[in-house]
Amino acid sequence: MAHGTTDTRGTAASGPEAAAPRTEPGAGTRTGQSRRTDAAPRVPLRHRLRRDRVLLLMVLPALLLLLVFNYVPLIGNVVAFQDYDPYLADNAFQAISQSPWVGFEHFRHMADDRLFWQAVRNTLAIFLIQLTLFFPVPILLALFLHSFVRPRVRAVAQAILYLPHFFSWVLVITVFQQMFGGAGLVAQVLRDHGHEGFDLMTDPGFFKFLITFELIWKDAGWGVIVFLAALSAISSDLYEAAAMDGAGRWRRMWHIQLPALRPVLALLLVLQVGNALTVGFEQILLQRTAVGPTASEVLDTYVWNVGLDNGNFSYAAAVGIVKGIFGLVLVLAANKVAHLMGEQGVYKR
Amino acid sequence: MTPNSPSSPGSLSRRSLLSSTAAAALAVAGGAPLLAACGGGGATNEGTTTGKKLKDLLPVYVASGLVDPDIPARNGSAAGFTKAVPAAELKVSVPQRLGRGREFSVMAPIWGNTPKAGNPYWTAMDKAVGVHVRWQNQQGDTYGQKLGAVLASSSVPDAVVVPGWELSGKIPSAIAHKMADLGPYLSGDKVKKYPNLAAIPTGAWQRSVFGGKLRGLPMPAPITPNIAMLHRADLFAKENIEPPKTAREFFDLCKDLNAPKSGVWACGDMSWAAFRIFGVLPEDKPTYWKLVDGKLVNRCETDEYLEALEWSRKLYAAGFVHPDAKAETGNLGDLCASGKIFVYNGDLSDWYGKTVVQRVENKKFEMGAFDYFAPDGGAPTLYARPPADIWTFVSEKADEKTVRDILALANFCAAPFGSKEQRLRQYGVEGVHHTYEDGVLVKNGKGNNEVFSTYEYVASAAPYIAQPDHPDVVKGMVEWQQRQGSHVRKPLFHALQVQEPTRYTELNAEFEDLEKDIVRGRKKVGAMRQAAADWKSGGGDKLRDWYRKLLDETGSSAS
Repeated sequence: MAHGTTDTRGTAASGPEAAAPRTEPGAGTRTGQSRRTDAAPRVPLRHRLRRDRVLLLMVLPALLLLLVFNYVPLIGNVVAFQDYDPYLADNAFQAISQSPWVGFEHFRHMADDRLFWQAVRNTLAIFLIQLTLFFPVPILLALFLHSFVRPRVRAVAQAILYLPHFFSWVLVITVFQQMFGGAGLVAQVLRDHGHEGFDLMTDPGFFKFLITFELIWKDAGWGVIVFLAALSAISSDLYEAAAMDGAGRWRRMWHIQLPALRPVLALLLVLQVGNALTVGFEQILLQRTAVGPTASEVLDTYVWNVGLDNGNFSYAAAVGIVKGIFGLVLVLAANKVAHLMGEQGVYKR
Repeated sequence: MTPNSPSSPGSLSRRSLLSSTAAAALAVAGGAPLLAACGGGGATNEGTTTGKKLKDLLPVYVASGLVDPDIPARNGSAAGFTKAVPAAELKVSVPQRLGRGREFSVMAPIWGNTPKAGNPYWTAMDKAVGVHVRWQNQQGDTYGQKLGAVLASSSVPDAVVVPGWELSGKIPSAIAHKMADLGPYLSGDKVKKYPNLAAIPTGAWQRSVFGGKLRGLPMPAPITPNIAMLHRADLFAKENIEPPKTAREFFDLCKDLNAPKSGVWACGDMSWAAFRIFGVLPEDKPTYWKLVDGKLVNRCETDEYLEALEWSRKLYAAGFVHPDAKAETGNLGDLCASGKIFVYNGDLSDWYGKTVVQRVENKKFEMGAFDYFAPDGGAPTLYARPPADIWTFVSEKADEKTVRDILALANFCAAPFGSKEQRLRQYGVEGVHHTYEDGVLVKNGKGNNEVFSTYEYVASAAPYIAQPDHPDVVKGMVEWQQRQGSHVRKPLFHALQVQEPTRYTELNAEFEDLEKDIVRGRKKVGAMRQAAADWKSGGGDKLRDWYRKLLDETGSSAS
């Protein structure tokens, strides 16, 4: 069966490709204009569906999930323009139809909402700190593991690095509290030696860095996987050629490994920017009392407090919409920058 | 240790306590529309129900008198039972099965793992009541979020347990819209069909009137404080330490005991105790008002509130508070039990909960609770707690026979201590879940895993504490309640279910965060003055007028 499938695909694909040689993006020989006219309506949709049916089938479950859990709920955003009360009727659709419309009232309210802006400021600050402190760590770790560690040791090191990724945030924060809290190991050792104790966990000024360190401890090892995969795809010929030319370790890293990582880097960076306003929810909610909302309230915890705890679903939905639109604009902008730098980004035109 | 074992009715497990206090400020904020009778909006059911209208709704009270408690209730305390009798001597409170075999679903919070369906405990309960219950147990910590979603859906379970601390946001609106009026089954003399329900004190029923109708089946609670200054009484006795009598003495005691170098701190966060020492009004609506020279004054505007915060702040500033309490991680009760802190404020049920665990290893282990004192010594001002704070509601869609069977279950669950029914509900089946030998009643492993207290949320008897395995603990707890009870006064609107207009929903949302910021030294006490001023201009004054009107209509219930 599998054999047959491959055959059909092979023959189906060979026809059109013979007629229209594959376009190499970035090959520089064709302009965007000609590429579009060339490649577009060659193969009828029907044929393409038949040709790719196995691949399409494989994508289908994911598409369905996306549809049901990401697109259908978008309809619910209409409550942002209502004074929504979910308990008016038996189901959400009836409740929406019975709730009064208030237009842009909630969006206006947002503009004067001190707490909303405090959440925005915290969110952006945490994003910038994580981008500068967290993002490079997996890359450096991957380069280090790939270049300096022997393969057998590497496997062990990787396993140890991955492990914290599977811990829940409650556990991670407990571990940090036991280590760096006011009654933690470090503080107690200091006290034993006649110094003042210290408490890293309840310092609002340090909080944004603290959660970044927690994130690094938990997820940097996991982030290494992608980069290690990209590094192992580099042909050993390149290293040999470079070595022949007398390139040392650092030269090889600079001229071979980093350029190989560039497309992945650009992709991840664009995605990261798109998620700029999503900086961690559970992790922050759990440490809210320790440092107070002034330092810790971010958009997601704010939506949670307003929407679920205060029952103000409409206002929470309005904040969610603003967050979504802002995220979309950021992705588009970051993708544009990636294109300008000659990378593919998340999608190509 | 048994997950839900400290199940003295009226006192909740620690987790529920945490959610209760966490949600308390939100509950205050969470006005939502309902209730007829007063204050501006008949259509939205705002206000409360009082007077003759309320009297007509309430079931009559017929005391049980089945079993006399070893320590009778006094000053609003629970009654205490210190002895267990053999099964043969148990009384019968439900002479004939009231259930007619209906199958229905009940959604309830659970702190622990829910037992498997068809387990011997549920089967025995079903058989004894004459019903078939499909439990939909949800984790207690996140119950509020589940509740909101379930009530918004079209498949509301036949019966739903709602704890008072989840009555925030629009939940009261859901109750008024989707839950059945039980008045036709229970009001007045009709309740006599269910004798154990008739023995539930009137105050608890009064708190069960939602949206102008009797909708809730209450779990009664003592009106004495639930928060106590708990400590290791055995350690205090060993060191000959006298309990503090003033706020100053408490501070000095902390100074003596604090020893961070040895990993020992004096106390946990003491804000909840401070609110009681300084006589601060309750944080929940509708009881957060008092009359000063004929004018309504809110909790956030009082001097005692600021003084309590300032005193708690000083404990932090002096370094007496355990760092884990500052970060709000870990379990303070466990820290106290293991001697890492000397005093913490927690739910009174911890007294039993910690004792039962610790005495396995250390027979001399003893918890205790300080008596409350006024800041400068003498009698404190303590405000009465609501006489019920957990209810079960029946879906409006349930047909009459199902409602009757749910009431049959409630009647069974409300059986008093010393009855066959209570023994089965609390301890499961003899030989399977518990053993009785020489007056000692003990749950075994299976009992601890299966016999959970979800049934008591469906309805409970008048408040009692019964832990025959540790009679000294029962005595200590009830006597503490009675001593505090002598200082308890009823706040305005005590025992009433009041629905504030929705426009004031978020008015009080910031106070709890601010309290935590202030005591931890992140903000000055002055910030609370500012917040109170914002509260006033942001709608507080209008809320005051609204309550003024309500007060004029209902009359004062304060004592």
